[in-house]
Amino acid sequence: MCVLPAVLLFFVFMILPTFNIFRMSLYKWGGFSSNRTFVGFENFTKLFRDMKFLQSVENTLLLIVVVSVITMSLAIIFAAILSREKIKGQNFFRVVFYIPNILSIVIISAIFSAIYDANNGMLNSILALFKGADAEPVYWLGDQSIVIYSLAGAMIWQAIGYYMVMYMASMASIPESLYESANLEGASRIHQFFHITLPLIWTNLRTTLTFFIISTINMSFMFVKAMTSGGPDGSTEVFLSYMYKQAYTNSSYGYGMAIGVVVFAFSFALSAIINAITKRDVLEY
Amino acid sequence: MKKLVSLFLALILALGLSIPAMAEGTTLSVAAIETAYGSEIWQEVTAAFTELTGIQVDLVTDKNLEDVISAPMKAGDFPDVVHLATGRPAALTETLIKENLLEDITDVLSMTVPGEDKLVSEKIAGGFTESSLTNPYGDGKTYMAPMFYSPCGLFYNAGLFEEKGWEVPETWDEMWALGDTAAAEGIALFAYPTAGYFDAFFYALLYECGGPEFFTQATNYAEGIWDTEEAQLAFDIVAKLATYTEKSVPSNANNDNFTKNQQLILDNKALFMPNGNWVIGEMADAPRAEGFKWGFTALPAVTEGGDRYSYTWFEQLWIPSEAANKDAAKQFVAFMYSDVAAEIFAKGGAIQPIVGFADKLEGDNKIYYSIYDNGAKAALGSFAATDPVEGVNFADTVFGTINSLVSGDKTQEQWIEQIKTDSDLLRQALK
Repeated sequence: MCVLPAVLLFFVFMILPTFNIFRMSLYKWGGFSSNRTFVGFENFTKLFRDMKFLQSVENTLLLIVVVSVITMSLAIIFAAILSREKIKGQNFFRVVFYIPNILSIVIISAIFSAIYDANNGMLNSILALFKGADAEPVYWLGDQSIVIYSLAGAMIWQAIGYYMVMYMASMASIPESLYESANLEGASRIHQFFHITLPLIWTNLRTTLTFFIISTINMSFMFVKAMTSGGPDGSTEVFLSYMYKQAYTNSSYGYGMAIGVVVFAFSFALSAIINAITKRDVLEY
Repeated sequence: MKKLVSLFLALILALGLSIPAMAEGTTLSVAAIETAYGSEIWQEVTAAFTELTGIQVDLVTDKNLEDVISAPMKAGDFPDVVHLATGRPAALTETLIKENLLEDITDVLSMTVPGEDKLVSEKIAGGFTESSLTNPYGDGKTYMAPMFYSPCGLFYNAGLFEEKGWEVPETWDEMWALGDTAAAEGIALFAYPTAGYFDAFFYALLYECGGPEFFTQATNYAEGIWDTEEAQLAFDIVAKLATYTEKSVPSNANNDNFTKNQQLILDNKALFMPNGNWVIGEMADAPRAEGFKWGFTALPAVTEGGDRYSYTWFEQLWIPSEAANKDAAKQFVAFMYSDVAAEIFAKGGAIQPIVGFADKLEGDNKIYYSIYDNGAKAALGSFAATDPVEGVNFADTVFGTINSLVSGDKTQEQWIEQIKTDSDLLRQALK
C-alpha cells in the first residue's frame, strides 16, 4: 500500500507514455487530426531504407564513441592529476573545468560558433599564424567531413568538468595508505594510477559511463539544434534531431515515433552491453 | 459533516469558476506569430476589431508560436484564428494542410469588409487568392488568407556598385561576367542566409526558365518535368551560382548564424543575396561598409530581353477546422482587409495585399513594392501539398542540397537524381 503512489506515478508518467510511443509508431499520423491509419511495421521497414536516417545513426554512433572516449579519458586524467599531484592553483583549475557545466547549451554553442567562425574565428586566426593570412581557412562548421568533429569538440569541452569532479570525489575516498605502501615498494605514479586508482574507482566509472553514453544521445540533439540545425545538408543530423524533423517538420508523427522506438531499443541495448563488458569484481578496502 | 462542508465548498468554487465564462459573449482567440514587424500591430488591430464589432479578442503572440499553440492543439484546444505562414522550420501550417485541418474560407471572399461597403474579394489584389499558397488542394477553394506580402529578389549594396561603376546585371550572362570582375577584387558574387532562402529564388527561376505553365507542372511534380530543357537550365544556373558563392556561407547557413551570411553583403564580401525586405529591419543595427545603401533587383533574365521575375512572398492567416467560433473568426479575417487594419499593419512595416495600397507607400518601402511597376513580373506559388511521405522533405532535397553543391560534397547530377526520386514519391501522394 505504501508504494502504491510511487507505482501509480511511475505507471502514469513512464510506462504509459512509453507504451504510447510504441503504439503510435505503428500508425501513419500527422500528430493533430483524428485520422490515423494503422500501417503495422511499415514505418520501421521504411526507416531502414531511409539513407538520411542511416546517416543520423552513423553520426550518433560516431559522437557516442568519440565524445565518450575522449571525455572519459581526459576527465580521469585531470581528476588524477588534481587529486594526486600537488600543483599550484589546484582549486582554480577545479573551478575552471567545472564552469562549462553551469553554462547553458545555447551559450556554449554561441561560444563555439564564434571559435569555429571561418572568417574571424579564434581557431582559424591561430592557424593563420602558421599557414599565413592568405591561406584558405578551415570551414569548421561548413566542411561536411569536419563538422561532426567540431560538434564533438564542443560536447567534450562541456562535459569534462562534471565527470572530473565525480571522479575526484571517488578518488578522494581511496585510503592514502595504499599509495604510501606503493611508494615504499617503488611503484611509479603511472603504475599506481593503473593498479590502485583505476580499479578502486571502477564502480563509479561504470555507472558514469552508462549515464554518459545515454546523455550523449540527448546532448547531441541540443548541440545540433543550437549550432548547425542538422546542416549543412543533413551532415550533422543525429537520432533525435532527425526524429524531431520527421515528426514535426515533415508531418510524419508516426514515423517520428518509430525512430523514437529505435532510439529506445538502442539505448537499452547499449546500456546492457556496457554493463556486461565493464563488469568486474568489486574491490573492497 | 466535515465531508459535506468540503463538498459544499467545492461546489461553490466550481460554480464561481463557471459564472464569468457564462456571462461573457463570444471571445475570439487569435494566435499570431511575432516577426520583424513586432507584436504591437496585432494588439492595435485586435483592439480596433473589438471596437468595431464588440467581439472580445484573446490575443497570443510569440516568436515561436508553434511551441505555444501546438500542445493545446494536440489536446483539442484550437485557437479560432492563426496567423502563421508556411515555410517555417516547425512546419505547423503544412502539417495542418496535410491533415485537412484548415477551415474552408472561400465564403469570406464574398463577405463585406467590416466597417466598409466593399467585398473582401474586391479589396484583395489580383492573383493573391489563386495560388497553392492559399488554395493548397488545387480545388478552387481558399483555405488561407494572404497577409503581409513582400517582393523577394536579390539584395545588394547599391553604394558599392556606384563606387565601382558596376551595372546591376540584367541577364545571367552579365551576372557571371560581373562575378569574374568582382572575384578579381576579392569579392564573391553571391551569398545566401540559409539554403531555405532559395525557395523564392528557385520559384522565380522556374518561372523565368519555363513560364507559368512549366512552373505549375514542376510544382505539381509532373512526370518527367525534371528531365526537360527548362528544368536543366534552372539546375545549371543554380549549380553555376554555387561555384560563385562565398565559401564560408554553408558554415553559417543555419537558423542561428544566418545573419553572418547577410553581414557578408554589408561588409562588401559578397555582392548579391536572395532575401525579402524584412532583411532591412533585421540588419538595421549591424555594422556596414562606408557608403552602404540597400539595393534590390529582380532575378536577371535567362536571355537578353527575357522575362524577369520577382517572387511575391506572403504570410498566411487561417482558421483551424476545429475552431469554436468560426463565424466570428471569419469576420476577423474579413477585417484584415479593411483600410483601418491595413494602415495599422503598415505602421509596423507589414503591407497587406490590398488593391492600390502600395501606391500610398513612401520612402524605402516604395522602392521595393514598385519593383513590379518597373518591368519585373510577379511569381506566385509553391510546391503542391501532398500527404506526408516518410523520410522525404522536398524543400531539403531541392534547396538544402545547395549547401553541398557549394562545398563540393555533392555533384549537380546527384542533386538532380535525388530531386527526381523524391518528386516521383510525392507525385503519388498528391492531395
